[in-house]
Amino acid sequence: MAKGGGFRRINILLSRQTVYNNLMSIFRISLAILLAIASSHSLCADNYDSITIEPAVVEISGRNRQTQLLITGRRSDGTFVDLTSSATLQIDDASIATLSDSLVMGLSEGSTRIQVQIDDFQHVIPVHVRGYSAYPPINFETDIIPMLTKLNCNGGGCHGRAGGQNGFQLSVFGFDPATDYEALTRQARGRRVFPGAVEQSLIYSKATGIVAHGGGERMTPDSQDAELLREWINQGTPWGSEDTPTVRDIQVTPALRLMAPHSQQQLRVIATYTDGSQRDVTRASIYSTNTEVIADCGPEGVIETGKLPGEAAITINYMGHVEVARVVIPRPGVVTPVRPDWFSSQNRIDDLTWNKWEQLRISPSQICDDATFLRRLMVKATGTIPTAEQIREFVADRSPDKRAVAIEAALNSEEFVDYWSQRWSDIMMVNSKIIGSRSAYTFYRWLRQQVEQNRPYNEWVYDIIVATGNTGNVGPANFYRSQRTPEDATKTISQAFLGVRMDCAQCHHHPFEKWGQADFYGLAGYFNGMQRDKLDDNRELVYHPGHKSIAIPVVNKAVATQPLAGSPTTADNTTDPRPELARWVTSPDNPYFSRLISNRVWKHLMGRGLVEPEDDFRETNPPTNPELLDHLASTLTGNQFNIKHLMREILNSHTFQLSSTPTDSNKMDDQAYSHYLIRRLPAEVMLDAICQVTGVAESYPGHPQGTRAIELWDNQLPSYFLDTFGRNLRESPCECGSSGDPTMAQALHLLNAPEIEKKIQATDGAITRLAASDRNEGQLITEISLRIVGRLPTQKEIQIGQQLFSSDNRRRGIEDFVWVMMNSYDFLFVK
Amino acid sequence: MLNKSKANRRDFIRMGSIAGLGMADILRMQQLFGSDDPSRSDINCIFLFIVGGMPHQDMWDLKPDAPSEIRGDFHNISTNVPGIQISDVIPQCSTVMDKLAILRSMTHDDSDHGRGFHVMMSGKKAGAGDFNGDQNNNQHPCIGSIVSHLGAPGVLPPYISLPNFLNSGGPSFLGPAHGPFVIDSDPAAPDFSVRDIALPTSVATRRGELRQRALQQINQLEEDADKIGKQVKSFDTFYEKAFGLMSSKEAREAFDISKEPEALREAYGMTSIGQCCLLARRMVEAGSRFVAVENGHWDTHRKNTYSLKELLCPAFDQAVPALLNDLEQRGMLEKTLVVITTEFGRTPRINPLAGRDHWPNAFSILMAGGGVQGGQVIGATDKQGAEVTDRPITPPDMVATILYGLGIDHKKILHTPLDRPVPTADGGNVVRELFG
Repeated sequence: MAKGGGFRRINILLSRQTVYNNLMSIFRISLAILLAIASSHSLCADNYDSITIEPAVVEISGRNRQTQLLITGRRSDGTFVDLTSSATLQIDDASIATLSDSLVMGLSEGSTRIQVQIDDFQHVIPVHVRGYSAYPPINFETDIIPMLTKLNCNGGGCHGRAGGQNGFQLSVFGFDPATDYEALTRQARGRRVFPGAVEQSLIYSKATGIVAHGGGERMTPDSQDAELLREWINQGTPWGSEDTPTVRDIQVTPALRLMAPHSQQQLRVIATYTDGSQRDVTRASIYSTNTEVIADCGPEGVIETGKLPGEAAITINYMGHVEVARVVIPRPGVVTPVRPDWFSSQNRIDDLTWNKWEQLRISPSQICDDATFLRRLMVKATGTIPTAEQIREFVADRSPDKRAVAIEAALNSEEFVDYWSQRWSDIMMVNSKIIGSRSAYTFYRWLRQQVEQNRPYNEWVYDIIVATGNTGNVGPANFYRSQRTPEDATKTISQAFLGVRMDCAQCHHHPFEKWGQADFYGLAGYFNGMQRDKLDDNRELVYHPGHKSIAIPVVNKAVATQPLAGSPTTADNTTDPRPELARWVTSPDNPYFSRLISNRVWKHLMGRGLVEPEDDFRETNPPTNPELLDHLASTLTGNQFNIKHLMREILNSHTFQLSSTPTDSNKMDDQAYSHYLIRRLPAEVMLDAICQVTGVAESYPGHPQGTRAIELWDNQLPSYFLDTFGRNLRESPCECGSSGDPTMAQALHLLNAPEIEKKIQATDGAITRLAASDRNEGQLITEISLRIVGRLPTQKEIQIGQQLFSSDNRRRGIEDFVWVMMNSYDFLFVK
Repeated sequence: MLNKSKANRRDFIRMGSIAGLGMADILRMQQLFGSDDPSRSDINCIFLFIVGGMPHQDMWDLKPDAPSEIRGDFHNISTNVPGIQISDVIPQCSTVMDKLAILRSMTHDDSDHGRGFHVMMSGKKAGAGDFNGDQNNNQHPCIGSIVSHLGAPGVLPPYISLPNFLNSGGPSFLGPAHGPFVIDSDPAAPDFSVRDIALPTSVATRRGELRQRALQQINQLEEDADKIGKQVKSFDTFYEKAFGLMSSKEAREAFDISKEPEALREAYGMTSIGQCCLLARRMVEAGSRFVAVENGHWDTHRKNTYSLKELLCPAFDQAVPALLNDLEQRGMLEKTLVVITTEFGRTPRINPLAGRDHWPNAFSILMAGGGVQGGQVIGATDKQGAEVTDRPITPPDMVATILYGLGIDHKKILHTPLDRPVPTADGGNVVRELFG
């Protein structure tokens, strides 16, 4: 029977870091993990090598305690299947304990057994219910607050909102238990709780819907939550003893599971308290997923997968303790793919993407052709589509290293500088509406110099953080023109350079977040006391006369100025503390700093971040391929933060150069990079491409004729095209302000805009010159295709071109063909 | 273990016949389960959203017997329906009371603008997050997107919003194809036009058709839908819609408000709300299923009486009766459901700044046309207008009622990309008495 018994003594300790970093190796040992759970039972049935039941013995140590069962079958191929919901469960003595699905609850003191049946396999689990007669002493912070959180009483939409709801206010997610206790037991003239008369306590009568409650019925009178609340009131609404054990950590089983599409997996969550005791908190935890399409998790802790292969992370939160259960859904019914010979082993990136495909059982697409490669490279690196001539030359080039040479040329082009200066201006919110034209221009020029010189990323970020001086000529000082308060600077620097979003932490500790108010104001302290002396209407003198610590508002509690998880500043009130912060932010040892920029670059070139959104790094939002992200980050730190070096490695990888045409095996994948992800040309790039193709430039007020959209430093210049196609609004420190979502207005504009038609028909434009040339039909079709979609025409395009040219008006035929090709998906998208 | 029942309506009918139930029973069950009603599939909706919070106790649900700090400065007047009184701040509305139904017992629990907007646009409570500022923040599809998703398609975009995008008016998991077509321009402006809806004048019609045919061939997508890039796929749906719009003269002209006689434009009032209502009528006339109109600045935290009397109600009081009369004269009223709604009502007690604050516990919305029996009041509030005392109506009820009005099965289950079932109207019930 107990087949896995021999493994049971193997004790493998896994820190979260290990889970993070060594997903692959975890897979190899995941079998051992499951069997290593000491309190479980491994047995076997016909269809399974073994069946594991957790826990082996159910111990219910008091009223209102419960135990979630977890029954797992192991198949002969080493995969696991959750049998919890399909097993038939029966209690011997229904007066001792009862079952709600697979949850065991006590009813009275005593022992009984649960009969488990799966097919013809049978097993018995002993159940002991002890200490049932007396309700355990209740602690407000560890019992009542989690219930209020779980029932969403203290959510931001209800009593947790600033100002509360109907006069009853709780702290958001219970971050301030003392105030909540006060609100419940003392305010409203004590009407919220009546120790003598539970049913007349407003908290009980409203929550159960006995008395009309705007929030509706939150609990039924026969629920365990209602019993807990009744008991708390009956016990005299105790705060609880100060030495009541608090939660030390929570463990989730399984922490990692390969699952089939459209399948379920029960989770089991155990909290360990400071006194070493444990409690099953499966039903009291809050679950959320990072990728709903792949897998989601309901309030009972049951993960449900969708139809797609891929990975998801389920976040489990209990009392502010957060754990993650990871789910991998391989492509069903397929054996491990074989790595093709052509797939590089020169480039570490390719090894790491390969590992992921192997796990998901998918194969990569082919390498893309030369023309596709050149267009993709140029659009992604330089924001510019290739000319017909460039395509011809590149395709004709016979040298074996021509792709590497083209990559080098792109990275060293003028357009590279234009394009990336603009991207950095997006993130740094170089917005003339907010900081004025002079500041915007000065800041842009400075950012442009950094890109032009390819200055190490850490160095120029350092300069921004410590910026001091006259904003009229010190470029980075203009950063502090838009970041006018310590709070703003804190949020922007955290998000833009660390990928840590501190917005929630400004006001309260968010249950899913690591950082709280003290962390937020610890950072804000670095900017407190900064001066901005007005020099004239356009310029300010920015400086920091010396450290001045800051207090958390409302509670007015002083906090030490210090980096996240760092030590307090040593700066005194005559020293600018920012250099200390800047050193910490930009240090090669700061994992957030190097990983965020790596993820940004990766997303830009590959179409999807390893972490999405690209600047939202949280424990609860893990990367899809942590090893790859770590590798990119160490490539950067190992090469003096040379961003071009990192780009070079990505662009030279086979992964970057894969075709965007999916195979049957990888067509469902959109997060493992098994085929290149098709993306629309960004607003500026598309407008420039239209101008390049038609040979007619846009004119921007105040800019010389011929200025391209990617050269614009000011995002406020009026342009219907750029607005409609979603240029970055530069209102928050991210690239999220530029929208790639299609709209009806975009389609109509491409089809009907008089502005675009005028470019096609312009007498001094490229199309007129083409029409006037002595090229024959076939040559024209080829030339136009190369110009617009960057490749030779397909058979279908030749045919359509011929049809359009067949009218007696050559000029008109050319215009029509240009219009058609400029509305084709091969023009609008990078493939 | 027993599988949870997943029987749908059709299964139920099948089960019904097996169980020997009569046809009447089955029909009753069909009612219970809801179903599309083809006889209502040509009813369209004009959805007027009063942004800021429409004061129920100053317009539709006055409390003349309450103390002055609650009662406010307005008085009840008679309407053309005996027994129904409304405020003297909207006297013209009293002349169309026979077409209007007042729902005095709307109630929900979100007193934040963004969140109130979300629940009144979608019928679903807003989850975590900040719902103010970012317009695309809806976590659930709004009614317009649901109509676009479930309703019968037409030439015009099925869901149009004007004179801008409405907060929480996005499609959420239904995808960008079901987002609104936004007319981002105010029809009351002298230079109003909707751009790009027709070929430029330099391209003759026949040539335009040639181009279009050629483009459709070039952009023909692969047969295996899974192999088409997601962004390409969604762009493709917009190209299709754009072609549909361009190829219909009627549809294009619907956007041209200058085609209306000047006298009628004046009758609606040369105000944003007036011209938006008129343009909305043109849109539904041309076949759009759901036109959302926003009218803003109703957040009267200060100077409530002055704001209503001088700034807000006059335009409202001109536009709404003009719309209802115009629809009736054209014989369109029976085919057009008009909904006038808002995030929430306003506090019973007037604050120290002579304003009223946010109050979701009880407030009024209105419906007319589309089979709604006018001249009735549904629900009631207490003597301070603070709480609902009779027939509470929730946002899910409102959504169910609108969908029912448009012949769409409000009990349908939507599916997220994960195949997770999401009830369309979140358990809401149709306010049946509205329809007589």
